[in-house]
Amino acid sequence: MSKPFLDIQALAKRYPQRDGNPGPPVFDEVSFGIERGQFVCVIGHSGCGKTTILNILAGIDHASEGVVIMDGREIDGPSLERGVVFQAHALLPWLTALQNVAFGVRSRWPEYNRDKVREHSVRYLEMVGLGHALDKKPSELSGGMKQRVGIARAFAIQPKMLLLDEPFGALDALTRGTIQDELRRIVRATQQTVFMITHDVDEAILLSDRILLMSTGPHARIAESVEIDLDPDRTRGSLHHDPRYYEIRNHLVDFLVDKAAHPKETIPS
Amino acid sequence: MRGEKPWGAPLLSVVILVALLLVWHAATRATTGEAVVDAEYAALVGGAAASGGKTPFPGPMDVGVQLWQHLKDPFYDRGPNDKGIGLQLAYSIVRVLGGFLLAAVVAIPLGFLIGMSRTVYRAFDPFIQVLKPISPLAWMPLALYTIKDADTSAVFVIFICSLWPMLVNTAFGVGAVRQDWLNVARTLEVSRLRTAFLVILPAAAPTIMTGMRISVGIAWLVIVAAEMLIGGTGIGYFVWNEWNNLSIANIICAILFIGVIGMLLDTMLARAARLVSYRE
Amino acid sequence: MSLFRNPFNADTRLACACGRHASPAEHDRAQGLDAAQDRAVESAVMRALFPQDDLRRRFLRAVGSGTALAAVSSIFPLALAKEAFAQSTGPLEKQKLKVGFIPITCATPIIMAHPMGFYAKQGLDVEVVKTAGWALIRDKAMSGEYDAAHMLSPMPLAITLGAGTSGAVPWTMPAVENINGQAITLAMKHKDRRDPKDWKGFKLAVPFDYSMHNYLLRYYLAEHGIDPDTDVQIRSIPPPEMVANLRADNIDGFLAPDPVNQRAVYDGVGFIHILSKEIWDGHPCCAFAASKEFVTKMPNTYQALLKSIIEATAYAHDASHRKEIAAAIATPNYLNQPVTVLEQVLTGTYADGLGKVIKVPERIDFDPMPWPSFAVWILTQMKRWGQVKTDIDYQKIASEVFLATDAIRLMREAGMTPPTAKDKTFSVMGKPFDATKPDEYLASFKIRRT
Repeated sequence: MSKPFLDIQALAKRYPQRDGNPGPPVFDEVSFGIERGQFVCVIGHSGCGKTTILNILAGIDHASEGVVIMDGREIDGPSLERGVVFQAHALLPWLTALQNVAFGVRSRWPEYNRDKVREHSVRYLEMVGLGHALDKKPSELSGGMKQRVGIARAFAIQPKMLLLDEPFGALDALTRGTIQDELRRIVRATQQTVFMITHDVDEAILLSDRILLMSTGPHARIAESVEIDLDPDRTRGSLHHDPRYYEIRNHLVDFLVDKAAHPKETIPS
Repeated sequence: MRGEKPWGAPLLSVVILVALLLVWHAATRATTGEAVVDAEYAALVGGAAASGGKTPFPGPMDVGVQLWQHLKDPFYDRGPNDKGIGLQLAYSIVRVLGGFLLAAVVAIPLGFLIGMSRTVYRAFDPFIQVLKPISPLAWMPLALYTIKDADTSAVFVIFICSLWPMLVNTAFGVGAVRQDWLNVARTLEVSRLRTAFLVILPAAAPTIMTGMRISVGIAWLVIVAAEMLIGGTGIGYFVWNEWNNLSIANIICAILFIGVIGMLLDTMLARAARLVSYRE
Repeated sequence: MSLFRNPFNADTRLACACGRHASPAEHDRAQGLDAAQDRAVESAVMRALFPQDDLRRRFLRAVGSGTALAAVSSIFPLALAKEAFAQSTGPLEKQKLKVGFIPITCATPIIMAHPMGFYAKQGLDVEVVKTAGWALIRDKAMSGEYDAAHMLSPMPLAITLGAGTSGAVPWTMPAVENINGQAITLAMKHKDRRDPKDWKGFKLAVPFDYSMHNYLLRYYLAEHGIDPDTDVQIRSIPPPEMVANLRADNIDGFLAPDPVNQRAVYDGVGFIHILSKEIWDGHPCCAFAASKEFVTKMPNTYQALLKSIIEATAYAHDASHRKEIAAAIATPNYLNQPVTVLEQVLTGTYADGLGKVIKVPERIDFDPMPWPSFAVWILTQMKRWGQVKTDIDYQKIASEVFLATDAIRLMREAGMTPPTAKDKTFSVMGKPFDATKPDEYLASFKIRRT
């Protein structure tokens, strides 16, 4: 079997205790792979280190043990090849939506002239449905719109891998639904490789090709990997009509309630 | 609020002002009694002394008259010791701006460095804490002793006193930039220099501007005190000169001018602060 | 007593020698200035050798004027002196000068020389700069920002000795600005408490530690049995703040230069208890001072400046000019006071604060002569109160700082009659002062710090 596009091997993270000695690892022996064009979600309770794994993948945090290899090269620090959509949009509040996206575009392609940057940025904002809000500052946008700008910015740099850290956690259910559909549409259209963290089981089933279930820490690890082989054209509206939907859903919920508390039973990815 | 009148607040201000003026007028109404001394003596002393009292605090009318005198011809120049109020204020403003801008040029970059590095911050902190509370009037003799030139000393004292709010606020603003925004820059592989200019600076700008506003207020305060000590020109010197003549009315005029100019300086910086502010 | 009169004529009671002129000044103008200058030098030398008039006359009667001249020449190079004296002032090294002053009536000659043209007459363009305080005027003079300055008489001595300054710098006082002109003023509430013995616990103010005011006040208090360091509190307060402090009951009184005293009366805040003239009639107060460097490096400019000051002093000495001067220096540019206050100070007809109008024409006077004995007295007082702790060579310092010869010469040129005696004897509050015995004088006081 060829190496996956993103190869995570035996990742572990431990923090020093108050007395200076290293404590037990939050997670360890975390290993999984992501193929190109795959959408992988990680689900687990708080404190199992999901965000830490994402930060390590993003390059803004370091693992205590283990290695991450993307496209054959070990990662070392942040890179434009791994775009991030942060949990709290992280838009620069003194820039307009357009300027925020342009900030990313200019960082990726410093040789672009002003018109090209603008044209590129506008395209991605329109892709997330914000063509009408280009010159609005983040304080003038709703939560959902802000998150969409964040997504547009991340997509606009055309990264090899997109990392999403609970991007819809702060949104209400209705807005969330709309954006989920949009995200799925864009991802399928661009064949983007995505790694996402979420709490929402339905969202994970809707969006992903594979779901990784993490147990709770300390010593958290990937307990199970669930393939989602539902209809690829599924939408939020049609999802729950699929007969296998509830089977998968129940399994996931069972895990979260029950097996999350028993980390010893692990199934390698 | 239904029917909120835009002229409500200004009207209230005017009412308060009129009330204060009336109270002031009533409190200082000249009680010129009968002259208790003979005419020859009375001719040699002030009105109040002639009736056995002390020269009173001037009332609003007296001050008004003096105010008009000053405003009528604000830029006259009758020699090194007697210049119009406009010229004196101009001298003071130039000194303040000189010292303030010098302080900004030093404080903001230094504050940046301090804010970006925890080690640098801890290294500089004891110096800042010790030097910050020193009164300008304590710096003055030191400045005169080493620099010798009175004007340069005044500008130096302005510099050393308006340095601290800008320095501390800049360091604080830079250190308090949201980690999220810094992470955005990192994941976009933005260089440290560009991050400093494109992310940290705009993020810290409102705090820096607040520091500048505080500093300009302090600088204006200090210049009046400094000029009273060194004499020569400036509004502080004007106050001292009128103090020599025990002309309280003129001193009140000077206080009004000082207040107004201080307000203008603050307003200018407040406008500038609004330009760089943002809502999260 | 003029310098002009022929000192070698035993019959001269120092009047015009040929007898055909009403005044010595006229005589000399008739004679031609050269002869007058010669006479002046001889006169000065004779007076230096024979301070008392009749002693000199007896000598001359005994040996005859020719022998006297030869005898004198043998011990004093008269020819050289006449030559040096005859040298007219050369080109000015510096024309634009800055002279600092404090806005009090003591500085009248320095100030009035500006609007009344005395500086311009000597070809000088002088800017008189109002200064905020004595310490500042000293600093600016020492740093060179001022070429010369109005100072308190003790200050040139203090600067030369290095007392109260960072380093000792030789300073000179070629002319006294004014004599008398101060007063002790008390708050109105003390008008029935005028015996100094009742002043225990009082808070009194003086303008500066190294000032005649401080020494006179302390002398006055000590003579009445009050120890100025333990029985009362003496503070230094800038003169303009004195009236305000008096009004606010922060101090009970002060010994201050005018116009502060008269201003206190004018505003109904205090009354004049005693004029300084009554403590020591003819005491020096403020001085015109310059660094030794200025005197030696720019002699022509220095002479011209000194000349203008002395001429101004001569003009101010004349009582008929006082009103005119008061009007000239009352403007905001100079003293910034009501004209009537200055008039009362300068003419000596004044309100005393207790309802009476008093006439003392010599309340303030202007006599530039910097007597060495003044300097010696000041030095004894500085030592008395612990301001100077080392032993001092009184005569040496006095003569180096208080430049008597310059003043004498220029007084003559200004038409004033310079004094005859080599030094001045005086009494302070009735106690005579002998400048040749300073240490004994110092030891004679009960209240002192040494």
